[in-house]
Amino acid sequence: MTRHALVWMLFGSLAWAQTPSPDLRGIWQATGSAYQNLEGSPAQAGRLAAKSAVINPASGKIPYRADSRKSLDRNFRERGTADPLLACFQPGVPRAVLLPEPFQIFQSSDRVVIVYQHVHAYRVIFTDGRPHYDDGIEFYMGDSRGRWEGNTLVVDVTNFKPETWLDGAGNFHGSKLHVVERYTRTADNTMRYEATIEDPEVFEGPWTVRVDLARHTEPNFQLVEHECERDARGIYRHPPQFLK
Amino acid sequence: MAATLSAAFNVEEHGASYGTPAGPSVIIDPPGGKLPYLPGMRERALDNDQHRERDPVGQCHMHGVPRVMFPPFPLEILQDGNYVVILAETEHGVRIIPTDGRPFLKDYSSWNGDSRGRWEGDTLVVEVRGLNGRSWLDQAGNFVGSGARIVERFRLTGKDTLNYEATLENPSVFSRPFTVRVPLRRRPADVELLEYGCIEGERDAVHLPPVDGERR
Repeated sequence: MTRHALVWMLFGSLAWAQTPSPDLRGIWQATGSAYQNLEGSPAQAGRLAAKSAVINPASGKIPYRADSRKSLDRNFRERGTADPLLACFQPGVPRAVLLPEPFQIFQSSDRVVIVYQHVHAYRVIFTDGRPHYDDGIEFYMGDSRGRWEGNTLVVDVTNFKPETWLDGAGNFHGSKLHVVERYTRTADNTMRYEATIEDPEVFEGPWTVRVDLARHTEPNFQLVEHECERDARGIYRHPPQFLK
Repeated sequence: MAATLSAAFNVEEHGASYGTPAGPSVIIDPPGGKLPYLPGMRERALDNDQHRERDPVGQCHMHGVPRVMFPPFPLEILQDGNYVVILAETEHGVRIIPTDGRPFLKDYSSWNGDSRGRWEGDTLVVEVRGLNGRSWLDQAGNFVGSGARIVERFRLTGKDTLNYEATLENPSVFSRPFTVRVPLRRRPADVELLEYGCIEGERDAVHLPPVDGERR
């Protein structure tokens, strides 16, 4: 009897381990405030101190090349007007994931679709092995190709336009941006998100951010329409209920 | 999926003109294929046609229902559990349609509305509320007003063909409900939606005149 039970348990756990059942579906949202500054920020009026979301390098600092510092300083100074997000640009990756707004993940056998509430940007991520676009075509949200590594969805993102920023503090990239994202469920309602970022024209080497995502479990929760409107001067602006 | 082109230009029968190919009416009810405008409303549509800069799509807004279903750009339809998702390439428009019987949102106003779906045999039936009343029906200035209610019916008619019908009830603009029918055709499996940008880098918006209902 005891041996029978042991065999069953072994078979049971083997079957469980081998069954590829990565299910990322649901409405998710980033925790924390990495969207404001990936490197974190000290406490200030009305705002708690935030740890850096950068886990590599261990310093928590983005490894900018020395010749990128000038652009970074200018972006930071002018962030109140120069941030492309304020003009309703699609946010890019990984910023779309980190914003304080929900996004919904859908899956089918050959693709993962992510719809962001923020300006209804979306990504169709094929997981059937089809290749990236060639160089020379650029997208605000990049060109995403996915694959499953065990229970982790790995997404390779290339072909970025250089205009988007990485956060609200002016952290930026160039046209050689390459992002590798890893989505791993850690419990029913939590997911770990990591993005490794490289761009040899801006950074000295690759670096990685990690942010926990939480699933919305409120009954009947749904994304609502976040559409920009022109203001009195004809400039596109976010409706006030979405400003954080 | 992609719709036949002519409905995007004008849902009524129309001859060819500059930038517009001729096309038949897609209105199957009322008979005769004309929009059943209330008195004075057709004049507004004709005035829109002379002021296409007012077209909300030209102002980077999503098309609204039913126009979002027949743009001159492809759509992607995804079914996943309790949802049907429709992605429009143009204006990166999105419709997320729950089919789990949940109630409509209260006090909701939006371009693409709040949709609830259900299956009747092999037909997906979608009811749409919460529309903002600012959408056009086509490039020719035909329009909907506030308080519109729409019932859409999606049904596969072959392996690669889909029949789309929408019945629109909008007593502030039309004297009776009307129905449009547009066939959609499936694109080959290797076709991918491309990214569409409109607001990004827009430098001319300041020169555009205001559209109805826009805060100025």
